Amino acid sequence: MRSYQNNEIVDVIVIGTGAGGAPLLARFAKAGLKAVALEAGKHWDPKADFATDEKEQNKLFWNFERLSAGKDPIPFGKNNSGIGVGGSTLHYTAYTPRPHPEDFHLYSDFGVGEDWPITYFDLEPYFDELEQFLGISGPSPYPWGPPRKTSYPLPPLALNGPAQLMQRGCKKIGINTSPAANAALSAAYYQEHVGWRQACTNRGFCQAGCSTGAKASVDVTFIPLAVHYGAEIRPECFAINFERNGTGSITAVVYKKNGKEERQLCHNVFLCAGTVETPRLLLLNNTANSSGQVGKNFMAHVGLQVWGEFEEEVRPNKGIPGGLISEDMRRPKDADFASGYLIQSIGVMPVTYAAQLARSGGIWGEALRTKMQAFNQVGGINMHGECLPDVNNYLELSDELDETGLPKPRIYFTAGENQKRMSIHGEAVMRRIWTEAGAKNILSHHRNAHTIGTCRMGNSGDKAVVNAAGRSFEVPNLYICDNSVFPSTLAVNPALTIMALSLRTADLFLSQKN
Amino acid sequence: MQQRYASGTVGALIDTNFVTPVTRQVLKERMAMAEAKPCFFDSPAFDLLSIVCDRLMAQDSENRIVNVALFIDERLKNKTSDGWRYNTMPPDEKMYLKGINGIEETANLSFKKPFSQLTISQQTEILGAIQKGTAEGAIWKEMESPLFFEELLTEVTEIFFSYPLVQEEIGFVGMADANGWVNIGLNGRDGIEPEVIISNTP
Ligand SMILES: Cc1cc2nc3c(=O)[nH]c(=O)nc-3n(C[C@H](O)[C@H](O)[C@H](O)COP(=O)(O)OP(=O)(O)OC[C@H]3O[C@@H](n4cnc5c(N)ncnc54)[C@H](O)[C@@H]3O)c2cc1C
Ligand code: SF4
Repeated sequence: MRSYQNNEIVDVIVIGTGAGGAPLLARFAKAGLKAVALEAGKHWDPKADFATDEKEQNKLFWNFERLSAGKDPIPFGKNNSGIGVGGSTLHYTAYTPRPHPEDFHLYSDFGVGEDWPITYFDLEPYFDELEQFLGISGPSPYPWGPPRKTSYPLPPLALNGPAQLMQRGCKKIGINTSPAANAALSAAYYQEHVGWRQACTNRGFCQAGCSTGAKASVDVTFIPLAVHYGAEIRPECFAINFERNGTGSITAVVYKKNGKEERQLCHNVFLCAGTVETPRLLLLNNTANSSGQVGKNFMAHVGLQVWGEFEEEVRPNKGIPGGLISEDMRRPKDADFASGYLIQSIGVMPVTYAAQLARSGGIWGEALRTKMQAFNQVGGINMHGECLPDVNNYLELSDELDETGLPKPRIYFTAGENQKRMSIHGEAVMRRIWTEAGAKNILSHHRNAHTIGTCRMGNSGDKAVVNAAGRSFEVPNLYICDNSVFPSTLAVNPALTIMALSLRTADLFLSQKN
Repeated sequence: MQQRYASGTVGALIDTNFVTPVTRQVLKERMAMAEAKPCFFDSPAFDLLSIVCDRLMAQDSENRIVNVALFIDERLKNKTSDGWRYNTMPPDEKMYLKGINGIEETANLSFKKPFSQLTISQQTEILGAIQKGTAEGAIWKEMESPLFFEELLTEVTEIFFSYPLVQEEIGFVGMADANGWVNIGLNGRDGIEPEVIISNTP
């Protein structure tokens, strides 16, 4: 790997190597820029380091304590936040549906939420490119959304127990389903400058890290590509501060390595630390916040899960967890809410399932032991639905320090009326599907999934933190690209869209530079 | 409790090539950990927490599969977090110490005896009251008892069901996936996965 000196002025520093940071890093390196990535976590070797054990794999999560406030406090850590080269893609489930064009103009359509300053069609070429590069397995043609210019490069992965059950239940009540698009390989796949990646072996362990390299987390895709083209990855380097000159531009990023402070000189900074760490870093340094929008409008998808026990053996730990999808509820006809949601089948691991029974079901003692005896017969489905931005949901700095010595972020979240209605709708639909599929002892687990918003993009510097190219309205050489820039959540799992934005942000930067 | 799966499945697999080296190491270290000595809690607090964990996981204190309290002790000693806490709750160390005192206080107020000397059904009753928020005692006026119970129960559950011998009890051998899985559809069982020996449909 190429390396740079701290006192050499590199073209770009990328802070964070997850879904937002890794793709643009590879793009910059390919264009010949001197690019350095600072990553707070370790650079793992999945084969040697990833155990098939949920508890051990907690090492993939951002476990520095955050304070969860509001009426629906959000659990962080294993529920949504990763650390390490690869960021949260190390433990994403690999669902990669595309958003729909109408997701980008919610305000125009419903008079609530926000319109994006870009459209689906600005991102479309990047979706095409990403699906080919990552080796997404999925059905072609895809049954929902606008016609596509490209087919998925690999056929869908085999359906596991929960996916077959969802198919059965949906069929009985006339809901359309399809094998889902997943960023895991249904056959061995060759990626230029990365090499061969092997097919998924149905371990079902995606949320605790893929040890086979079948899952397209960015540590096995964009990161090796970036390194091939000359980027330097600096793991265990925690960015804490920016040095700025008279014009307000950033001249260096200060970071902590082995407990010592170092500073890397640079021409540009791409902040890709995720929805919580990006605004925390900006608020700590009072940077890029003339709009007052940094930390505002924290959002999380309506993510209700429904579990049931079946007569058949389901063994929900095997196979790609999210095998089947229905997008019929994107704009339900009988909706009393704006926007809509997806329904996806879900596999699960025993510790995650048991913890849900405990935390959200309040089940313990003999009741819990008995319920867990049915683990091999459990199957789940869940929804991912739009969450509207709300000024009362925000992030602030507390006066308690975390393990890194920085103030802990405090995040307020209360689900709004629109989300409550959508959740009720989704729960009724999913309970019907599960009943028709033959489920007994159905349980719902209320949940708000993914961390979105806090540094929104927009057209004006008094209402947004960055413009449509991801550039700060205030600091001329600061760009943000991660889940924080989403003005609205989109009714879809976010990773593919973040990666598409990342490539677009890189291309716009490069075209302006030339 | 009725046993649905045969014993010994995890033990029979752990040293085979079905388990990756790193997975084997982690599981063996965990089983060895179960013999450790506590160091965060003093001994009365540790003993009380051990009994509370037993009630929560319906374990016989004389014949435990694993003492969950040891793993809580280890985490608090190492000062590791799970990444978040309720804004209204004190930090974990404080929450645990306060919660243990709260349980003892409620036991004394309700039955005029220390928690450890109560019958199992009295202990269960007290924990139920703490879960519901109806437990007596000054400590629960300072710290919301249902949130304490939720945090405690979730941690105990995660530790308990991470223990290989407990996973065996639910017919789970997911750790033995070095070669992956083939029969992943409904009623699909791979050769090394245990079959139900006593069947009762849900
Ligand atoms: C269990 C789970 C399942 C998921 N499943 C899916 C799914 O199926 N499909 C989907 O689309 N999405 C899924 N997601 C969400 C998806 O993973 C995230 O939305 C996405 O990875 C976010 O990208 P990001 O770039 O915003 O942040 P991240 O990917 O989290 O990357 C941020 C990186 O920045 C680093 N960092 C933070 N602060 C600093 C600092 N100060 N200095 C240096 N580095 C720093 C972090 O360590 C991290 O590596 C899932 C998430 C979880 C937790
Ligand atoms: S199911 Fe496939 S993609 Fe997921 S962890 Fe297993 S091998 Fe990797």
